[in-house]
Amino acid sequence: MNCHDAREQFSALIDDALAADERAALDAHLATCADCRRELQRFRDTVALMGGAAPVRAPAGFVDRVLEAARPVPWHRRLLHAVFLPWPIKLPMEAAAIVLVSVGVAMVYRGSPELQQSARQEPTAALARRAVGEIPSEPRTLEPKAPESAPRVLYGTRDYAEREQAVRELEKAKEAARAREVDKGQEPGSLADKKQTETPAMAQSAPPPASGRLESGAAGSKAPAPSRDAELYKADVRQDRQAPVVGKLESSVPPTDRQRSEAKDVRPNVAQPAEKRADPLRAQRPASAPPSIASSAFAPPDVSGQLMVTNREHAIRGLKELVANVGGVETYRLDTSDGPIIEIAVRREKYGELNSGLAKLGRWQPNQEPSTPPSTIRVVVRITG
Amino acid sequence: MEGPTGDDASLVQRLRHGDPRAFEDLVIAHQHRVFGVALRMLGNRAEAEDLAQEVFLRVHRAIGEFRGEAKLSTWLYAIASRLCLNRLTSGERRIAQHGDEALARVASAAHGPAEEAERSELETALHRAIGELTEDRRIVVVLRDLEGLSYEEIAEALELELGTVRSRLHRARMDLREKLERFLP
Repeated sequence: MNCHDAREQFSALIDDALAADERAALDAHLATCADCRRELQRFRDTVALMGGAAPVRAPAGFVDRVLEAARPVPWHRRLLHAVFLPWPIKLPMEAAAIVLVSVGVAMVYRGSPELQQSARQEPTAALARRAVGEIPSEPRTLEPKAPESAPRVLYGTRDYAEREQAVRELEKAKEAARAREVDKGQEPGSLADKKQTETPAMAQSAPPPASGRLESGAAGSKAPAPSRDAELYKADVRQDRQAPVVGKLESSVPPTDRQRSEAKDVRPNVAQPAEKRADPLRAQRPASAPPSIASSAFAPPDVSGQLMVTNREHAIRGLKELVANVGGVETYRLDTSDGPIIEIAVRREKYGELNSGLAKLGRWQPNQEPSTPPSTIRVVVRITG
Repeated sequence: MEGPTGDDASLVQRLRHGDPRAFEDLVIAHQHRVFGVALRMLGNRAEAEDLAQEVFLRVHRAIGEFRGEAKLSTWLYAIASRLCLNRLTSGERRIAQHGDEALARVASAAHGPAEEAERSELETALHRAIGELTEDRRIVVVLRDLEGLSYEEIAEALELELGTVRSRLHRARMDLREKLERFLP
């Protein structure tokens, strides 16, 4: 017996699992080999260290939870457990709460004329100041927000390329609209024409509420620069005011309707999430697309990308496990004929793990990654292949 | 380990007859060992609890399949081991990729916050070293050196040949011996 063979049997020796002849041969070798004796001692010490490990105890309440889960009709409980107990659900629930509150505020507001009356005062003053150039007009200040709202509206589109294309088109349309508006703003009395040239992109600007804006606008039109702002602003205000009333931006509102709608303030629209304002874009979604879930209605994903796989089913299963393993949660899912689109919310510190896990599932190509990731990262994965 | 395992037969009998207390007794008696295996293997308390619960639910559903040839605890270890290994391999999930964080969690998982402060460097190193073993070696060394199963019980639980158990255990211990070198006297 050489040293290598002898050392291969150390485990069995320690556990007294050697046959008699094996034991005799090993003992004979050890008697003549000091190195192996020393090595055997270290081996024994190692195993002894293991024996000193602190025992593990199940967490408190474990028995109760198991008994609860094993009850005769536990499926809905287990489902709830699976869906709601992991912490990441906080995100969608918070988002859902925001939506509920927003809708509630809008409904209460629209149902309360006195609230609308009181809300009229402030915007009048704001517009008056804007007309004399004290504060910048809304369309400009809100401009940077538009690209952000675009992806979330197009979230349900079938393809990311399509989506990106749509975002680009939206940008172009907005540029064009802005240019047109600027031109028109310099020609007094073009309000009626403007109505036709307004594009959906105009709706991206948030609505500064105003009544008495016509007076301010008229007054401002005497001076060229403020006039342009006021006109721009006016066009937006009208556009936005129509949205909550008729639900569609492109529909032409008869004068009577418009007057009625002017009586209402645009505030309700402020409370509406972006999807309300971008109604025309909804037409681009497939009919089967479910309504955006709460989380995706509020912001574009932090990371999105394509996962090319050979076996889609396998990848979906793998992704599900991966999400569970990194303590994330699937917040949205859209099944298309080209493959599912899945949104995942995951803690920032787990993102690296998720990323490497995705790379193992297939060819993972994230096409955007946040430079300063939020504490909860939302990742949209499109599985193809 | 703790818990009454000597009267497996009567417990199994009661389970089969649908005695509502029997299942509770089973969970109480075996919770720590099942959870222990899951935690050592997965390195994450939440995941370990989830898996341990799954083990007991399976036992609850399939008690009729238990033939009583092996010890009840061996059967539980078998289910727990299989579920752990499935979970570790099927989802491309490997403990090594969890890095130090998960391994530290394994190390701290066995203790309360107060004890954690006093935990020795050795304990941390030990758990880390176990966490770094490959899954097939880790399960064998966990069952043998932490849970105290015999070679035969391990072979039965993992459905392996005795020789395979022996060689994997030996490899695992050799790995550990290298990793724990500086703690050896």
